[in-house]
Amino acid sequence: MSIGIIGTKIGMTQVYDSTGNCAPVTVIQAGPCPILQVRTLEKDGYEAIQVGYKDKSRKRATRAERGHVSEEMESKRRKRLPAGTALPPKANCEPQEFIREFRFEKAAEHKVGDNLTVAGIFGETKRVDVIGTSKGRGFTGGMKRWNYHGLPASHGVKKVHRSIGGTNVASNRGFGRPKKGKKMPGHYGADQVTIRNLDVINIDPETHIILVKGAVPGPNGGLVIVRPTNKIK
Amino acid sequence: MKNSLMNLVETKAKQRVQDFCVAAKVNRQIAPFTIGDTVDVYLRFLEGEKERIQVYNGVVIAIRGHGATATFTVRRIVQGEGVERIFPFESPRIARLEVKRSGEVRRAKLYFLRDRVGKATRLRERKKPTQ
Repeated sequence: MSIGIIGTKIGMTQVYDSTGNCAPVTVIQAGPCPILQVRTLEKDGYEAIQVGYKDKSRKRATRAERGHVSEEMESKRRKRLPAGTALPPKANCEPQEFIREFRFEKAAEHKVGDNLTVAGIFGETKRVDVIGTSKGRGFTGGMKRWNYHGLPASHGVKKVHRSIGGTNVASNRGFGRPKKGKKMPGHYGADQVTIRNLDVINIDPETHIILVKGAVPGPNGGLVIVRPTNKIK
Repeated sequence: MKNSLMNLVETKAKQRVQDFCVAAKVNRQIAPFTIGDTVDVYLRFLEGEKERIQVYNGVVIAIRGHGATATFTVRRIVQGEGVERIFPFESPRIARLEVKRSGEVRRAKLYFLRDRVGKATRLRERKKPTQ
């Protein structure tokens, strides 16, 4: 994992490039994400930054959530300060709706309270990965979930045209029971999906918008994480 | 359905097409047209380095979509064979569009023209200019 940014999938549209070719793009509004915490090797055993996304009203945030981002209201601070204990730095921002960690080397170079922005992270980046949660499809059959072909429409097939067929043939495990991990009907979707190596078409620092070529997982309004790709072409 | 942010992006995308056409010194003038109009669509082609303009003439039989993805369909008869081309409104390859004639029609999609041949494909001319 490298550094990334949290955002919202806005929807899809199309844009034209300088040769007049049309490209399908997904609009993602990402950041600004305040850095809430920096994980260090000495203290936490790994290097990472913890970032927030989307302000949450102070009224709706719990006391712990408010204390996590603010220096002012932490009650422990009042007790610790006179005792001379070192205190962790705080971002001093609004409580955050979503909090994620990005684990990577050189995380210590970042400072608590700084804001991650699309322009800052993806200024020179040509390709990105997008992580999202795919649309939930509920309990689905084998044809939709695993691309089984189903059974024929005729030749004596009755009422089982979308069935997956036999599950306990000899080549699987032996008679009597199916092989472990046999692909069967079941719950499909609502899983974390990563789409790698999407072209960055445009970045707008003002509105914190990034346009990537192609589709990204999840519904419009869904939470996505965008990071520079680690796929070497 | 669409939120304001999406509209903003689409407006910017449209603006980019306009800017591009200004930079390329293309005379991109799209006259306002409607269903049933006979139009001339001036299309830009790049042949190596040289740029060529080709005219496609026909009747607008459908307009669909909205925002940056809206398209219109132009139907014409070539050598006795019906040809339909779908153009995106915002395509920078459309250099110019001129309305030659306005037909009087009462529906939004003129798919009935596909079943007609010869003289029956003509549309009565609209008297008043459309706003």
